Amino acid sequence: MVIDIDYIIEGFKEAIQLLIGFDREIYGIVFLSLFVSTSATIISSLICIPFGIHLGIKNFKGKKAFSRLLYTFMSIPSVVVGLVVAIMLSRRGPLGTFDLMYTPKAMIIAQALLVTPLILGLTYSLSKNRGKEIEKVGTTLGANKFDIIILIIKELKVDLMVNVVTSFSRAISEVGAVMIVGGNIKNRTRVMTTTISMMNSMGDYSMAIALGLVLLIISFIINSVIYSYSGED
Amino acid sequence: MEINIAGLKKYYSEKIILDINYLCIEKGTVTGLIGPNGSGKTTLLKIISGLDKDFIGTIKYDSELLNEDIYKKMTLVTQKPYLFRRKAYENIEYPLKIRETDKRIRKQKVEEIMKRFEIGDLRDKKGHLLSGGESQKVSLARALVFEPELLLLDEPTSNIDPESMKIMEREILRFNKEIKGTVLIVTHNIEQARRVCNNIIHLECGKVVY
Ligand SMILES: Nc1ncnc2c1ncn2[C@@H]1O[C@H](COP(=O)(O)OP(=O)(O)OP(=O)(O)O)[C@@H](O)[C@H]1O
Ligand SMILES: [Mg+2]
Repeated sequence: MVIDIDYIIEGFKEAIQLLIGFDREIYGIVFLSLFVSTSATIISSLICIPFGIHLGIKNFKGKKAFSRLLYTFMSIPSVVVGLVVAIMLSRRGPLGTFDLMYTPKAMIIAQALLVTPLILGLTYSLSKNRGKEIEKVGTTLGANKFDIIILIIKELKVDLMVNVVTSFSRAISEVGAVMIVGGNIKNRTRVMTTTISMMNSMGDYSMAIALGLVLLIISFIINSVIYSYSGED
Repeated sequence: MEINIAGLKKYYSEKIILDINYLCIEKGTVTGLIGPNGSGKTTLLKIISGLDKDFIGTIKYDSELLNEDIYKKMTLVTQKPYLFRRKAYENIEYPLKIRETDKRIRKQKVEEIMKRFEIGDLRDKKGHLLSGGESQKVSLARALVFEPELLLLDEPTSNIDPESMKIMEREILRFNKEIKGTVLIVTHNIEQARRVCNNIIHLECGKVVY
């Protein structure tokens, strides 16, 4: 069998041209991906970090069972989340009146839900292991419940940051949820992962390669950030 | 303020750790709490300070039962103090910050106490990077800076060199004399108990022995 390597090289060449030529469509797609995943991660973090810390330091009935459930949900498949959100948002669904299906908003909701167990679980386990001691010191110095949550966030900020960034990478690299609720509509809901999977099935490799490269660069930047942060102390 | 303990019992899974019929810690005193390892000294401090609320009996602060408002008037310095991952200066500032003390007064108080403890050189060092003795000094300063009514100390000078020991004892006594604060101090150092305490409580197997 003769392997035709030319079309791969050709694909790479065209990919580079698209990137350095600031192809509008490609950069629109990259921008939307970043926007959707960043929004989803921030929204989820704002709720899950304080809540996860609270749950971690609190003693309640069924804490063990709760942990197990939460950790299970951390690896929930993205298509399942996409499906659930689609059912909720579809015309006949409970939130159908808002007409959000196939919009970036729907994609943000889906990705926020997708990373919620992840951020909550990571925060919860961090707080469970290291929050108690901080809570104790805060309490003896006269801190109230709110002060203590703030104190724990500040004490664990490096680890929390790493968790948030990890969750962002999960969001930006998933394809199932955004495909189902976004629909991969050109110039509207098309993001990097859905484009790559579509272009691949169409046999149009140059754009897929270009976006693959961008995804790789983003992962690289993310990892550098994590390393420089966790190397801080 | 005065602490009155009556019928206090503390169990750890069936095993009785503390069994105190009656105990009074008088206002304005420095009381030493001594006893062998495992006799329940730390447990008693944790109960008084509110870190452990799982006990039987009554503890009154003046005429009131312990409650959240009262816990805010006292503080506990633990055997191995935990310092925040921020500068020593900011560690000491923390209790004032959460009490929303005015910025200028805050600075003045922190500066003053650092000077008295002679820890000016630790000012910008990160709390979690301090040595054992340095941590103890900073954590005592952090406890005294907001002038609590009751100061609970769990072996506060176990890692301290003789020179610093003098400073710390001096500051504990100053707190007692000038601010009229009450002190309950756990120590294994009988000499220290003689130097700083007005009276001494012996604890053995969770019971007070005189
Ligand atoms: N969380 C816990 N669970 C079970 N037993 C405990 C717990 N904490 C303390 N104990 C037990 O309670 C007893 C009293 O402990 P405590 O720490 O009050 O002693 P101590 O007088 O402070 O001793 P030391 O001088 O060594 O500091 C010890 O026998 C200890 O093993
Ligand atoms: Mg002890």
